[in-house]
Amino acid sequence: MNRKHYKQIRVIISLFVFAIVSLAGVGNSYLLALAGVLTGIVFLALVRSKVKIKSDERESLIEEKAARLTYAIFTPTIGIGAVLMLIPTQSGLSVFSRGEFAYLESLGMVFAYLTLFLIAIYAISYHFLNKKYGGTGDEE
Amino acid sequence: MKNKLKVYRALRTLTQEQLADKIGVTRQTVIAIENDKYLPSLGLAFKIAILFKVKIEDIFLYEGGINEQ
Repeated sequence: MNRKHYKQIRVIISLFVFAIVSLAGVGNSYLLALAGVLTGIVFLALVRSKVKIKSDERESLIEEKAARLTYAIFTPTIGIGAVLMLIPTQSGLSVFSRGEFAYLESLGMVFAYLTLFLIAIYAISYHFLNKKYGGTGDEE
Repeated sequence: MKNKLKVYRALRTLTQEQLADKIGVTRQTVIAIENDKYLPSLGLAFKIAILFKVKIEDIFLYEGGINEQ
């Protein structure tokens, strides 16, 4: 099995997982969604073990840049989203604390913690990677 | 940075796929290097130079100054 076949099989497995999760979403079955995702992970691991994949430095660079871009876009977006959701509820406007807007504060809190979680993961991984690649600055 | 990878590959009558297999990268990476779209790492540049039995500077030509990014 070469890299091209591996990519084709990966797309098929991803579509399968997407279909199962969609069905589970429609049927409100969290167990089915979990089973679909786990099956997909197991299948991907099995296929990956059968094919010898080259680690390509250009692809690594692309992945690094894509990850950095994702972080740079996603973190401020959900951070600002959290602020925008929390401000109206904290400002004492009663219209935002009841009825259809009641969920805004909870969603804002979830977004705020998610932002903090992302920043914490970034900071911790940066610290360890910096150490790993000799960026401690102890030696002269 | 310019390179003569295509020339050296042609001299050895290697296809992009064969060269990619020999230096352990994908064909897309070889294409990107040949078209000056991607600058290989020092390790990969050495691998290429060793494969063609030449010096790195025979294949890769640095045209910028010392302050160029």
